[in-house]
Amino acid sequence: MSPSVPTGIKSGFVLCEVCGLLTRPANVREPGRCPRCGGELEIRRQNAIQRTWALIVAAAICYIPANIMPVMVTSTLTSVEGDTIISGAVLLYKYGSWHLALIVLIASVMIPLAKLAALAYLLITVQRNSIKDQRERTRLYRLVEFVGRWSMLDIFVVTFVVALIQLQPLMSVKPGLGSLFFAAVVVLTMIAAETFDPRLIWDSSNCKEEQNG
Amino acid sequence: MAEQIDLDNIPQAAVVPKKKMRFSVVWIIPVVAAVVAIGIAVQRILSEGPTITIVFKAAEGVEAGKTFVKYKDVNIGQVKTVKLSSDYTKVVVTAKIDKSAEGLIVEDAEFWVEQPRVTLSGVSGIGTLLTGNFIGLRMGKSKQVKHKFIGRDAPPAVTVDQPGRIFMLQADNLGSVGIGSPLYYRRLNVGQVIGYDLAGDGKSLQIKIFVNAPYDKYVTNETRFWEASGIDVSMGASGFTVETQSVVSMLVGGIAFEAPSLMMETKPADANAVFTLFRNRATAMTQHETIVTPYVLYFDESLVGLSVGAPVTYRGLPVGEVTAVGLEYDPAKELIRPRVDIQLYPSRFMSHVKKSAALDEQAKSEGGLRAFLQKLMDKGGVRAQLRSGNILTGQLYVAFDNFRGVPKVKIDWTKTPAELPVMPSGMEDLKIKINNVLAKLDRIPLAAIGEDMKKLLTGLNGLVKRVDRDVLPELKTTLEDLNRVLKSTDATLVGKDAPAQQEMRDALQEVRRAAQAISGLVDYLERNPEALVRGKTQEKSK
Repeated sequence: MSPSVPTGIKSGFVLCEVCGLLTRPANVREPGRCPRCGGELEIRRQNAIQRTWALIVAAAICYIPANIMPVMVTSTLTSVEGDTIISGAVLLYKYGSWHLALIVLIASVMIPLAKLAALAYLLITVQRNSIKDQRERTRLYRLVEFVGRWSMLDIFVVTFVVALIQLQPLMSVKPGLGSLFFAAVVVLTMIAAETFDPRLIWDSSNCKEEQNG
Repeated sequence: MAEQIDLDNIPQAAVVPKKKMRFSVVWIIPVVAAVVAIGIAVQRILSEGPTITIVFKAAEGVEAGKTFVKYKDVNIGQVKTVKLSSDYTKVVVTAKIDKSAEGLIVEDAEFWVEQPRVTLSGVSGIGTLLTGNFIGLRMGKSKQVKHKFIGRDAPPAVTVDQPGRIFMLQADNLGSVGIGSPLYYRRLNVGQVIGYDLAGDGKSLQIKIFVNAPYDKYVTNETRFWEASGIDVSMGASGFTVETQSVVSMLVGGIAFEAPSLMMETKPADANAVFTLFRNRATAMTQHETIVTPYVLYFDESLVGLSVGAPVTYRGLPVGEVTAVGLEYDPAKELIRPRVDIQLYPSRFMSHVKKSAALDEQAKSEGGLRAFLQKLMDKGGVRAQLRSGNILTGQLYVAFDNFRGVPKVKIDWTKTPAELPVMPSGMEDLKIKINNVLAKLDRIPLAAIGEDMKKLLTGLNGLVKRVDRDVLPELKTTLEDLNRVLKSTDATLVGKDAPAQQEMRDALQEVRRAAQAISGLVDYLERNPEALVRGKTQEKSK
């Protein structure tokens, strides 16, 4: 590690996130408002850890019904069938398109779970002031942020299918309650990724430096 | 990039005091999410209906997760699993029933697989061609909850809430009746057969029928049921009779019922009452004797032509039938005597009697019936007699009739069956009379009559000979003389040159000439009428 890294906090500066004005914060706890635009100054995002945790917990709660409850309810003349995400993937696999099944499984089951796990991991490491693999963790964060929106693919498919397949009374498709929860998971994890402050990853090393120095 | 920043001139931020919160408001989000998720879960668990198991012999078209359980065509549940029973002979279907229909799952509820059915009596379940087979439910009456059921093979014919009543029919065989066979009352379709079962001993059949309200009130204890299948052709004294119900019943069979017109009872029969199913209308309407009393008759004559089933009549009306014809050893006389067993149907006898209320009462008790019979024998002189029913075939029947001047007979009721007094048959009388006639004929002196006749003929013969000898030659000469006279007459009168003829011709010529003269005179007079006065004048003017 480089022995001394100049950071905003160390230098006693803070950047207004609205107008980009570099200011001196009033104090470290209450940075105050930007003198130019009046925007609230933040040295670090407020309650970032707590908020992110809350959102992650909410997303984790929603993740369970999202996978248990049907995402899509297909009613034909002969039957009414609800399909969960996993049953859909299983069905795809049964019909031979295992690669599609894999895509669905990865995009809709693994990725939200991975996001939750990644964010939780980041939060835990930040809270433990870990200085290990900071670069990797930052990259992980970028990945989480990037990948977030793509999970909405499922919701897209459901909305399309619901809008297109309305052949009453032969066949009709309705969104299930599961899709609502799934959307909630995706949205909550996206917000969680936003509220998390990646700068916190690096703060610990600064603290350590200070302690060392 | 490396712009020189005037670090001294960096402005100081203003301090705005802010409330510090230990817990972020953000925590509301997971709380809300948790509440919603738990709420849904609780609601799911609470709305969970019972899971039932139905065992079917076959579950055609029943698929896990796709087949519904329906009651009155409303979905009340869905099949969850379809499995084979452990011994692989049956299909075990588990279905989840909605909470709202929980009350339908009671002990006597019935399930069946609804599928298109085409039977002779109709087509059902056509809708399942489109919607797929489903499991039908028939509501039960019980309140006892049950979760394991044995499925029916076919839908029940009658639903619980259908008004009407069930009756049982006892039959020897099923005939052409099947489940769903129509039931007719006066040719009106009023119900159907809903099931049949072999009786415990396997000797008869129990047919379950359902009569729709309001027709069920026409089923009284006296009602007769008969098979209305096909065509019943009978030949009777009234001619050729063809009995049919509707065309449908001719094809698919059916059961008809009717109360005999003589029966006045109008109280509807109890539900599940048992009736006998007769083969046809005729037997149904006649064979309804509830009281049957056996009797024995000892005829001292030939029983040729008397068969089992021959009618027993009273004054020509049927009152019973012959049940056995045989011989019996008579220990008193040490002889074999003919014995005829008969059955009398008091009710049928009574049905012939008008205004028989008092009699009816009497006939109902055995003692009363006996007293009545004894009275008939004593006062009316009623006796049994063998009579010929058919001259051609010589069929006999037993007739009870009143006879005058017969001795009183006490019926011995201690013996069963009791013996009734008999009368030698009219046939025997006839035989005796014919014999008498023959005996009288026998007494005519035919030989003497023959002798006299012979003598007479001989005399006649002599007479004829005498005539031949004496009269005929004279007759011949007379005829010859006559012939000669005729010939002479011919020559004088008729022949061509006979003088009479000649003279006649001359006379005729004379007459012609006279006629000519007169004609000339008349002619002249016409022209000269004055000649009458002046006489004939000479012709001057010529």
